[in-house]
Amino acid sequence: MPVQGIRTVTAARNGVGAFILQCKRLDFHYCDWAGSSRGMVAYLKHHLPAFAKANPQIEIRVSPRPHKHPVIKGHYINGREKAVCVRNLEPEQIVQKTNLLKQASGEKLKRTKKPVTSLNESVRGIWSPYHGGLKSV
Amino acid sequence: MFSRTTLARALALPIEHSSARSASTTFRACLHQATSTTTTTTSQPEAPLSATPRAQSSIPIQQPRFLTSSNTVPLTRADVPVTKQPVAPTFDAPLKVSQSLLDLLPNLTSQKPHFITAHLHDRPYLLTAGDQLRLPFLMPKVKSGDILRFNRASVLGSRDFTLKGGAQYLDERMFECRVRVMGFESEPLRITEKTKRRRRHVQKVTSKHRYTILRVMDVKVKTAEELLEAGAVVVESADSDANVELKA
Amino acid sequence: MKRLQLQRWSSSVLSAQARTGGRLQHRLYNGIRHQSTASPAAPTANDQLIEEEPLAPSIHPPNSRQSKYQLPSPPVEAARESAKLAALHARLYLPSRLPLETLARSLVDASADPNPKFNNESLATLGHDLLTHYTSEYLICTYPRLPLTVIFAAMYAYVGPKTLAAMAREWGVESAAAPGGEVDPGYLQFKRIPPGADLKPVTGTARPHEDQAHWRKSITSSVVYDNEFGDPVKGPKNPSEQSKQDAQNIKGVTAEQANATFVRAVMGAIYLHAGRPAAKRFFEQHFLSRHLNISDLFNFSQPARDLSRLCARENFEQPVARIISETGRKSRHPVFVVGIYSGQDKLGEGAGASLLEARSRAAVAALKGWYLYSPLNVRVPSSMEEEGAAPWKPVHVDLGEVIV
Repeated sequence: MPVQGIRTVTAARNGVGAFILQCKRLDFHYCDWAGSSRGMVAYLKHHLPAFAKANPQIEIRVSPRPHKHPVIKGHYINGREKAVCVRNLEPEQIVQKTNLLKQASGEKLKRTKKPVTSLNESVRGIWSPYHGGLKSV
Repeated sequence: MFSRTTLARALALPIEHSSARSASTTFRACLHQATSTTTTTTSQPEAPLSATPRAQSSIPIQQPRFLTSSNTVPLTRADVPVTKQPVAPTFDAPLKVSQSLLDLLPNLTSQKPHFITAHLHDRPYLLTAGDQLRLPFLMPKVKSGDILRFNRASVLGSRDFTLKGGAQYLDERMFECRVRVMGFESEPLRITEKTKRRRRHVQKVTSKHRYTILRVMDVKVKTAEELLEAGAVVVESADSDANVELKA
Repeated sequence: MKRLQLQRWSSSVLSAQARTGGRLQHRLYNGIRHQSTASPAAPTANDQLIEEEPLAPSIHPPNSRQSKYQLPSPPVEAARESAKLAALHARLYLPSRLPLETLARSLVDASADPNPKFNNESLATLGHDLLTHYTSEYLICTYPRLPLTVIFAAMYAYVGPKTLAAMAREWGVESAAAPGGEVDPGYLQFKRIPPGADLKPVTGTARPHEDQAHWRKSITSSVVYDNEFGDPVKGPKNPSEQSKQDAQNIKGVTAEQANATFVRAVMGAIYLHAGRPAAKRFFEQHFLSRHLNISDLFNFSQPARDLSRLCARENFEQPVARIISETGRKSRHPVFVVGIYSGQDKLGEGAGASLLEARSRAAVAALKGWYLYSPLNVRVPSSMEEEGAAPWKPVHVDLGEVIV
């Protein structure tokens, strides 16, 4: 056996080839009676059909949740979920919240200092002290 | 800053702009994938769920090679009014390359992988293909899934060779760097406590910045043949736009 | 490789009410050569018809709630009503010519519904062949000097079951707790292996002297007897044994196997419904765009010996290791930088804490430099299938690894 292969798995790079939206499901909860759901009910009536048509890759569930504030929950491909309470919000504000949930990646919010993250090796290689311009003592 | 090139819908037919080729005063390099979506939606019978495949197709739409006054505005999205569409780059002169650049360029193009120092709002980002880029601002008017093209770069390079623009940026006809908008993120809420002297009050300042996440799709240096095919002219080395250097 | 014949495959795969030969793909799947469609079809067809007859009433059930519970997998009509399925279709940007019913069928594993007219086995066989075909031609044309073991590992990394299962997860496919007719067709349906059951190694391969476990298996023999990842596969059997095996075989599959079968079935479904260009584009966008560093797949045991054999084979001068620079030879942490030279040419260099370590690293670098040669502007044979393709120029494929 001169050389053997090591089994690994290729790493996903979403967006390099195909792009898959990370939000896979949105749950809309509302209450028919309570006043804090007034904006949500208007949103469900007037804005949600257009949103669902524009984003067919998101599964949408609408369900009443009596005596509770209205909530939008986003479920993501990495298994996490993000919930936004939309009590007393106007329909236009709910549109923004829905867009926020749709375009999020589902990851936990982190503070990062570096702008670029890469899987690739350094193109130029790593600097070595043993090459070039050696000083003899 | 960047030219937005949302690619074609999957089944849209290529549109021939045959009339645009005849009378041309301004010159534009053939960015062979700088395309535009058609405004006509293709209606498919019994297609209950075909998402508009934004940028999922690899079939480029034929773009007019030379721009006239009638087609300077590329239609990138139907819902954006024509006056607010990004203006396509117009070039009034062909790309100037020196003979020494043409001689050395095959060295750079044949050595992979490549990196690019792309500039966006005057900040440099060192990118290779497949990298994830987190811009420190919320980019307006883009949706996740859009494809942008970076057209400002100062340095292009491989392991041993570098193409430098010098004082100005590299000409955008010499390379292609496409990124895809992945989505928008924010940082966790930061609370800074501010105090004044001799005052028993602590002011709490909150900040939660929004970021745009991009993914670099490809970094491509155009070969000498592609440049000449696109209409580059060979000039004396003093007038050239860029120079290839061998890494010391 | 031979181009797949669409007509011959498609009749049984496309329609839910297939006429004959439902078990053809199954037999092919267990065969060694996946591409040979010629021989096994004829004798099985008659047996198949007789066997399938008792199942026929369950194919057309009245659409009542009670009958749904009796079905092993969701009825075909349910596919149009599933929001999950529609969302998955749109998320993958599947062509609109690929109907929801086929996508629903590709989500039904053979362990959930043994009827080959309703499970994804035939689609998965086709998809598996396409995936391995495209991957192997890409690897061999791009890296013409790769050793065969590394090709096996790279194939496993690109289209192995682990990768495919990860992809199904990244596509947002969820699996049902248990299969059944009442389940939403947007879930992946398969029967799970009961917890605690041990996964037995594959037996019944075509390899002679299979029971001699300690015998050495050569790489060349694994080309003949093993699958495209270098794993043992079951050998071909006669149909009567096959059907008996199936009856016992409904024990279940692991989630990884079921997910991998689903991804393969999607590939096969795209090929059948949208054609070859769409299938190839799907492969490039979802499979080839993933990140793999091929130089990490090598595991050398004696690199210096391999390198000297390689130089002898290629008529280079014998490799000589020389110290390029060193520091702290008498200290606790010495560093040696050793280069391997063949005549005046430096083949590779490496740094290590001892001279031997540095030499073997240098030899590894030299060998990787040789094996990972990649020509410019690679074209694969399947690019000739496009219309208006430039005339084919033969690609360079090297001898492969050194035989020691």
